[in-house]
Amino acid sequence: MSRTASLLPREDAREGALFFVVCALCFLAAFSGLVSRAAYAAAGAWTSEVSGELTIRVRGSDADAQRAAGIIGTVSGVASAHVLTRAESEELLRPWLGATGLPESLQLPRLIAVNATIDAGEAIAASLKASGINVIIDDHAAWSSDARRATDTIGLIALSAVLLLGATGVAVIAFATHATLLARRDIVELLHLSGAKDDFIAGVFERRFLMLGVQAGALGALLAFGAAAFILFAIRQSDGQAWLLPQLSLSLADGLILGLAPLVAGAAAMLAANVTVRRALSGMV
Amino acid sequence: MATAMGIPQRNLMADHDISTDEPVLRLDRVGLSYGPDSEVLADVSLALQPGSMTFLTGPSGAGKSTLLRLAYLSLRPTAGRVSVFGQDTSRLRRNDLAALRRRIGVVFQEFRLLDHLSAYENVALPLRIMGRPEGSYRKDVADLLDWVGLGDRLEARPATLSGGEKQRVAIARAVVGKPDLLIADEPTGNVDEDMAERLFRLFRELNRRVRTTVLIATHDMALVRRARADVLRLAQGMVVKVNLPEPRGENT
Repeated sequence: MSRTASLLPREDAREGALFFVVCALCFLAAFSGLVSRAAYAAAGAWTSEVSGELTIRVRGSDADAQRAAGIIGTVSGVASAHVLTRAESEELLRPWLGATGLPESLQLPRLIAVNATIDAGEAIAASLKASGINVIIDDHAAWSSDARRATDTIGLIALSAVLLLGATGVAVIAFATHATLLARRDIVELLHLSGAKDDFIAGVFERRFLMLGVQAGALGALLAFGAAAFILFAIRQSDGQAWLLPQLSLSLADGLILGLAPLVAGAAAMLAANVTVRRALSGMV
Repeated sequence: MATAMGIPQRNLMADHDISTDEPVLRLDRVGLSYGPDSEVLADVSLALQPGSMTFLTGPSGAGKSTLLRLAYLSLRPTAGRVSVFGQDTSRLRRNDLAALRRRIGVVFQEFRLLDHLSAYENVALPLRIMGRPEGSYRKDVADLLDWVGLGDRLEARPATLSGGEKQRVAIARAVVGKPDLLIADEPTGNVDEDMAERLFRLFRELNRRVRTTVLIATHDMALVRRARADVLRLAQGMVVKVNLPEPRGENT
């Protein structure tokens, strides 16, 4: 049987409280990180879905619309141009006018859906103008700009929350570690008077608090992962529509956030232990 | 007997490069006060030669424990100079002080055992700090605990030990590294006369065989008289040497 027990007692109530604090802070920081990344991902998904898409409303007859589509198809950078059928136009209007069907007599705008490079809009407008076709071109720039601005704001707020939580976490971990160590001052003093060097004593405490920080941080990150997975599940169950969100998934970046949380917590606890022990030792001869 | 604990005879000078002329502990006009009206030591000078055994006596509150704290480098004097193993402690770096402390065994008055460690682990603590592997000291530690009468309490935690047993563990921890200087603060205060005598023989064995310099603060004047050692008395902040009459019928 090995008799080289740890020079520090096993966990007690104080360390239990510290474990809870570190775990909770890591959960909040990791979850905020995931929300922040999801906000940026959502912004990217929303805007990439509409970038390169143009909607062209033709002021004229169906024949004008078909002619316009033909002209658009010849413009450089255009991948496809498709005149929307009445059924397709009704589908677009359904969220506003309901699914009961529209009167046949109701005139619907003649729309052409165009897939093209982002800078093709001006060339299309020029070609149609030269052909004498009166159109209104909507490249969704205003909408995507608003969407980008909104998600950027959400992302910034979430990122600020992550940074604030991270800084608060480090401070609280340091404070809690300090408080825990104050109760162990007798051990610090005995080791010191027995001839242990400062590095040795600091190392004893660093190892303990590194493990505590990593374990508590890992649990917090795991809970954050669980919460994020639950939210994703809920979004997928609702097909993403009710939440007005594109389909999201956990990515490598999320894994990085979840992996970093316990490492940062462990490093903060270890650093706090080092500083506290060395400060206590500096008061000794 | 102490020989059973395997204390080897060794050349102290070769181990630690101490000049034979240099006192192991020297206090030069040392004073210590915690404020203008709280002077504990006024003007203390003393020198302990290598291999000597010295008792420090004096009334309660005279400052014996404070003087010992200066000796085991737990306090700095507010006046004067403390030299240990020929080195002025005020000029040493922290790591050098740590190296000096590893050569000093201390029996604290309040024991200072770690409650979460067994008696065996408490005694082995100085050896772990020295970086020795457990296999190299396991038998020595067990033998030493056996010598102080705790051979069957190796795994006992301090909370389950009596005051006397804790004291013996504390003593075993102080001597396990065969220190060059052993400082003990009331080391027999909680044990009966027989055990006090037995523990004193342990100190004497270390002193004679290993040439450990021993400084013991005690109120036990009977022990002091039997010991035939140097006696210093601390009173009113100063130290004086005491000449005790030779004990009759003793043959130590």
